[in-house]
Amino acid sequence: MMFSKVDAAKYPFIKLASKLVEDFDQRLGLEVIASPGSDVLKRSVERIREAVYVKSTSFFREDLDVEVLSYPLALLIVKAVGDSRLFNLYAEAEKNRVFLNMLSESSSKVVALARDGFDWEVLEDGGKLKLKFNNYLEVAPALLDPHWKLVNRSLRYGYVEVSKRELARLIAEAFRSKILKRIEELDLSTVPGFLKPTVDMVRNEVLSALPKADINYEVSEFRPSALPPCIAQLLKDAEEGKNIPHMARFTLATFLISIGKRPEEVLEVFRRLPDFDEAKTLYHLRHVAGEIGSRTKYVPPSCATLRTFGLCVSPDDVCSKVRHPLAYYKLKLRRIQHGGKGKNAVS
Amino acid sequence: MVARAKTLSADEAFLKRLFRSYYEKWNEKPPKDFEKREFAFMMTKEGEMVRHKSFSEWSEVKEFLRRNAPLHVFYSSAYYLNPDAPDMDSKEWLGADLIFDIDVDHIPTPCKEKHDTWTCLNCGFAGRGMPPEECPNCSSKRIEVKTWFCDECLLVAKEEAMKLIEDFLIADFGFSTSEITVAFSGRRGFHVHVESDVVKELDQRARREIVDYVKGVGLAIAEGRGRVLIPPLTAPGWFGRVSRGVYEILSGRSIDELASSLGLKATKKFREGVELLTSSLERAEDFQALPSGLRKMWKVLVDKAVQEKRCEVDERVTTDIKRLIRMPGSLHGGSGLIVTKLSVKELETFDPLRQAVAFKKGYVKVRVHEMPEIRFLDDVWGPFRNEVVEIPAGLAVYLICSGNATIVKGGVRAC
Repeated sequence: MMFSKVDAAKYPFIKLASKLVEDFDQRLGLEVIASPGSDVLKRSVERIREAVYVKSTSFFREDLDVEVLSYPLALLIVKAVGDSRLFNLYAEAEKNRVFLNMLSESSSKVVALARDGFDWEVLEDGGKLKLKFNNYLEVAPALLDPHWKLVNRSLRYGYVEVSKRELARLIAEAFRSKILKRIEELDLSTVPGFLKPTVDMVRNEVLSALPKADINYEVSEFRPSALPPCIAQLLKDAEEGKNIPHMARFTLATFLISIGKRPEEVLEVFRRLPDFDEAKTLYHLRHVAGEIGSRTKYVPPSCATLRTFGLCVSPDDVCSKVRHPLAYYKLKLRRIQHGGKGKNAVS
Repeated sequence: MVARAKTLSADEAFLKRLFRSYYEKWNEKPPKDFEKREFAFMMTKEGEMVRHKSFSEWSEVKEFLRRNAPLHVFYSSAYYLNPDAPDMDSKEWLGADLIFDIDVDHIPTPCKEKHDTWTCLNCGFAGRGMPPEECPNCSSKRIEVKTWFCDECLLVAKEEAMKLIEDFLIADFGFSTSEITVAFSGRRGFHVHVESDVVKELDQRARREIVDYVKGVGLAIAEGRGRVLIPPLTAPGWFGRVSRGVYEILSGRSIDELASSLGLKATKKFREGVELLTSSLERAEDFQALPSGLRKMWKVLVDKAVQEKRCEVDERVTTDIKRLIRMPGSLHGGSGLIVTKLSVKELETFDPLRQAVAFKKGYVKVRVHEMPEIRFLDDVWGPFRNEVVEIPAGLAVYLICSGNATIVKGGVRAC
């Protein structure tokens, strides 16, 4: 399938988009493209603002060249601002944009995007779309709803059946990872001096707009050093504003509530997440805590479930003695209180 | 060399000599991209593992084995830029084979009651069959296990390996037989290696998904509160597998047998449910709604079908992208048997106590501490208990390697 400039503007991950950027860069150079007051620079800043305030970026149709060029420049500015919460927020917003755009494309178009952008092997078999399993596994393990688990998919002769919408979701996720990887790899020395005022402006504006989290460690039962590695990791991810999946949020919320935190306190933990919505989150937390709804107090999943969902990370010697993260916490707490044995955990 | 030979016990000297004679004639083909793999060896039973070795020529590997006659030989499932770098970070991982480990130690088999024993090293409490996780008497986890080779156990491992290869790796994952190698583990199981560019770069999370798939972990077919659907028998993946499993359970036994095997009562309602479900499965060409009132029965049947259709592999081996794995063609120092490379076809008729035997000639006099009856090559030996016997060299090697016999002074003649 031939792609047009509109496609390159909508889907920055296709080869045509990179080629257009390269051509402009060679012809004009970054200094001209991103000169102060230029449309490209303005649109780049706008993309970042949209990511922060609207959680998605829009599509600027008036000038496709500007739209194509503003994407790599926005990445450069995001990198120069240098806040990992912004990295995650920006990647999430670009993901949302391409996902929504793909929903109105034909199946064949979405298939072509997967092939061109990510070298995925996709078959169109009658009305069915089939994605090679190794391509599927590049992305799907990060999506924790059970229906994404390979075991719950139609897998035959190496291909996983997917709907158009699912394929679009997988492409969008792959794009999100690609953006984060690109930001990580970007060399800050390539940021020209004339961009500095823009970077400073974005930093000042954006950092103050990003929600601040203030986690209160003062609760008497709450001992961070007694947290099992899985929960410690989730807490760290949440503090860094990473977009952690549903199962991870549920685990973190139920764990913190189970060890005595109130929903209002747990709310602060989730404040930095890219899609944070105070009212919704508090509702869920109250629900989980048994304050509203069915009045059932939920407990965190067992170690086995966490393992299956890939949330079990770097288990230590205490882990081998327990089957539940709460059991870990109780055991470790006891050890800390009786002689500080817990500090010498074997790695 | 002389100084070292003196420190070896008579048993070790005997094994060294035989192992060396094996590696002198050794002519195994190299594994894929062997020069990018790390090799590791254990020279003696108690010694440390020699790690981070790499070889640029296959003849160097042969020379190394001839010269050192190691008890155990491993290579990495991973490919590295610098396979001989002393720490894992500077090796620079390039990819890894997909490995499955099927070991009877992890599969309950009824015959284990007959030939396996365990002893608690803490309190001395002992029992037969699969060892418990902790001692039922004193809760200690220090449990010593004595396992024996048995045709029945091996058959179970073989069936598990066939299931893995045919039902999962070929039918679902689409690998070709040329990408799959099987190796007898040298003890009581099989290693299945998949060497393919499709799997090479998969990360740990992706490999965990594959293990969960093979083991049926996280299946949501009979879960959920909403409408439950019955998949057609021909559906891809676990959907069809579960339906076929349920259908096999429903057919082929009487209604009373069926009820008791499911832990349910053979009431009129049960009978009708079985009939309804059977006809639904036979009829279905597409997913269809579960007839009302059968939710509980369906769940029980699905769970049972999953138990029968799943494949028991060691998830730690498959998810580890930097695993050391026994080199096919080498000797297993714990049994003296050859880690025999097998094609999928050869697996079916494979008989380790015939085809994996490295030393087929000669007899040796040994003191056997304990041994149940064992068929070795074409003869049956034992049971022996604390007695001196003259037995085939290969069987003696097997017993000495597994710590069940020692060589008797002057017991070694030409072999």
